[in-house]
Amino acid sequence: MTRDLGAPKSAKRGWRPSFQTVQALSVVGLLAAICIVASVRSATFFSWQNLVYNVLTNAAYLGIIACGMTLVMVAGGFDLSVGSTTTVCSVAAVLTLQAMAGQPVWLAIAVAVAVTTATGVMLGAVNGTSVAYVGVNPFVTTLSTMLIFRGIGLILAHGGQTLSVPLAFKSVVGRIYWGKVSLFGVAEYQVTIPILIFVGVFAVSLYLLHLTRFGHYVYAVGGNENASWLAGINTSLVKAATYAICGVTCALAAVIYTGMSNTAQASSYGGLELVVIASVIVGGTPLGGGSGGLFFTLIGLLLLSVIENLLPQFGVQEEYRNIVRGLIILIVVAVDVLVRGSGKKARRT
Amino acid sequence: MMKPGDTILRMEGIVKTFQAVRALDGVDFDLRAGEIHALVGENGAGKSTLMNVLAGRFADYGGRIALFGRDVRLTNPRQALALGIGVIYQELSVLGNLTVGENILLGHEPGGLVPGTLDRRALRARAQGILDELAFDLSVDEPVAPLSHAKQCLVEIAHAIRKDVRLLVFDEPTASLGADDVERLFEVIRGLKARGIGIVYISHRLAELPLIADRVTVLRDGKMVGTRPMADCRISDLSHMMLGRPLTEMFPPKRNTPGETILKVEGLSRPGMFHDITFELRAGEILGIAGLVGSGRTEIARAVFGAERAAGRCTLEGRVFARRSPRRSMAHGIGMMQEDRKRDGIITGSSVALNVGASVLDRLSAMGVFLDPRRIRANARRMIDRLGIRPPDPARAIQTLSGGNQQKVVLGRWLSRDPKVLILDEPTQGIDVGTKAQMYRLMMDLAAAGKGIILISSEFFELVNLADRILVIRDGRIVREMPGPGTDVDALFAACVRKGDS
Repeated sequence: MTRDLGAPKSAKRGWRPSFQTVQALSVVGLLAAICIVASVRSATFFSWQNLVYNVLTNAAYLGIIACGMTLVMVAGGFDLSVGSTTTVCSVAAVLTLQAMAGQPVWLAIAVAVAVTTATGVMLGAVNGTSVAYVGVNPFVTTLSTMLIFRGIGLILAHGGQTLSVPLAFKSVVGRIYWGKVSLFGVAEYQVTIPILIFVGVFAVSLYLLHLTRFGHYVYAVGGNENASWLAGINTSLVKAATYAICGVTCALAAVIYTGMSNTAQASSYGGLELVVIASVIVGGTPLGGGSGGLFFTLIGLLLLSVIENLLPQFGVQEEYRNIVRGLIILIVVAVDVLVRGSGKKARRT
Repeated sequence: MMKPGDTILRMEGIVKTFQAVRALDGVDFDLRAGEIHALVGENGAGKSTLMNVLAGRFADYGGRIALFGRDVRLTNPRQALALGIGVIYQELSVLGNLTVGENILLGHEPGGLVPGTLDRRALRARAQGILDELAFDLSVDEPVAPLSHAKQCLVEIAHAIRKDVRLLVFDEPTASLGADDVERLFEVIRGLKARGIGIVYISHRLAELPLIADRVTVLRDGKMVGTRPMADCRISDLSHMMLGRPLTEMFPPKRNTPGETILKVEGLSRPGMFHDITFELRAGEILGIAGLVGSGRTEIARAVFGAERAAGRCTLEGRVFARRSPRRSMAHGIGMMQEDRKRDGIITGSSVALNVGASVLDRLSAMGVFLDPRRIRANARRMIDRLGIRPPDPARAIQTLSGGNQQKVVLGRWLSRDPKVLILDEPTQGIDVGTKAQMYRLMMDLAAAGKGIILISSEFFELVNLADRILVIRDGRIVREMPGPGTDVDALFAACVRKGDS
């Protein structure tokens, strides 16, 4: 009897019980509203050219890192070092390609991707070890490693020089970013390779978070770490793993970025962490974790990317743009807090 | 395989210290298969700490543990679980963000065909199987966060009971259950016992022990007092063992006389928490509030104090007291000692002097702004003498004091302000017996000096021995008012749990 009553409820809830739906729906609504207004006001906004080549391709490499960040944040963590991690990874990618000059190009790229990924895992593991095993607060840990990794990038790049991909590889490496693939063989509907990589990463992350035991424990640890520990879950390993995975996503983003510029600079990617964290938060994954998820992050990311795309189109001057970005994040989260009544006035947990 | 009656657990000379406090001091405990062994003692006697050692929560205990005849050192929960130890914790450890089914099988999720994957359908079916076996009225797909405290408790119990569990610890499982649920729980426990599982039953509610326990062990202030077969024990013997003295000697004679009404509360409501709460408090009166955990008693008190929003009217000394907030309450002479000392009481890291003075710093500062260390110290000295805070050192960091002395510091903070109304929420929770007796005397002194005191307590014998009147709260409503003196503890308990007599 109770079972029958329970079933439709679960079917309706879909992936998992979520208390974030208010915020998710408001963000979707806001996104839709902005898109409609933009399509009416701007001739270029609603075109394949703009949406796919500008908005989505740009969002793709941020989105890849946001997948890793979502895992970290659902587990209750935080990672400020993703920008620096991406920098070190891209420097590692170019250095490997330089070392492989003269080798067959596909072999060189394969080795470079492997080295970059390994670098990302290592740097993520450093964060994970500090947070999960030593017990240093995530904010403090990743603030420190942000500086440390940035320093490592500078040293590897010989004090901030621009490293270039060897001439012989350039055209092939460049294809990682600039290459296009036709959808269903229709020539005018082409997507870029970063979008495909993002779709792949998103799908794998989705699988990891919702269909594996590990993903289940990510929610458990974010929900109540102590209770999870008492239930026999290896909470330290779960937390550490989320940081390592986040490191992998940084490495993949670095590969794409290397394809785009054919260079690596120790000074790139500053500020990237803030955009990524903002996407996760705007989507509705709370600081402290336990709920939220990848679809939430995706809509958060799309909202921020569309706004980013529209700011110049609507003639918002550069000096005003940060104010708009900041206000959007603050308003979305504040509205959610007020609607759910979890603000200052309802202090009892 | 163990036969019923074989000793499955032997703990010898267990010692555990927290910072300065020795929570367990050479405790012995043993358990047989198919036995229900009750572990009783006052709050803070060390019952939960002893069982936390068994659950593998502490890596730094002293003493020996032999489980199923083998010496073991329990250093983490995973190891204890693997050895077949299940614990139902007093402070619930359910995950609000997961469903009932996910909570029940947390840490034991069935895997799919591909290693590492999760078979959600199997998870639901297994969880449903456990719920059916226990006859718990829960749905596996419900999220846990919105469930009542009692239902979350059932989830926790279902989580601890697995196929391979051989030793189960119930840590005060009835503290927040109504009579029907307690009855059902006892049936479940007896069923587990019949399966040959050894059960440790922690409680400080002595009246229920004859219904369930085979043997009983009493702890007091971290030390072992004795182990007896339940059949040879009378309740009064047990309470004597727990307190170290007859119950009647704990309480001061009543010498307060209620006078004029000082605080009037009318129609206090907060949807989903409490409804239409109306009562009066008189000067020199101790007004008891009784109710189970989750009945809304704490929320009501917090609403009067202004720490929680609520509709309704409070009148203090004939004047309506609107826009209540802790700050304004303080200014108007209402003080409240919170239930959770660690979270809402002490300011960790600060000295005793600053903790005592925290609410009166304006009066202890030059021009109300610049801290005056001499006045702060003098105020702290006064309270240390008056309340007997040990060690008597104002510069000492608060967290190095024992629970009882921390509680005195928090009380001293409110007394420094000399409030007209003092709300005490579980003031004797987690403090030793000697300090309790002292607290009781202090309350009586304050009432005799004309203060109005609202006393919330789970220890019903405190209420009947101290309060002039007792309000019984159930499901967020005042269902009865009983006189304090002459009321029987069991009658008060019955009033708190019974349905349909309001």
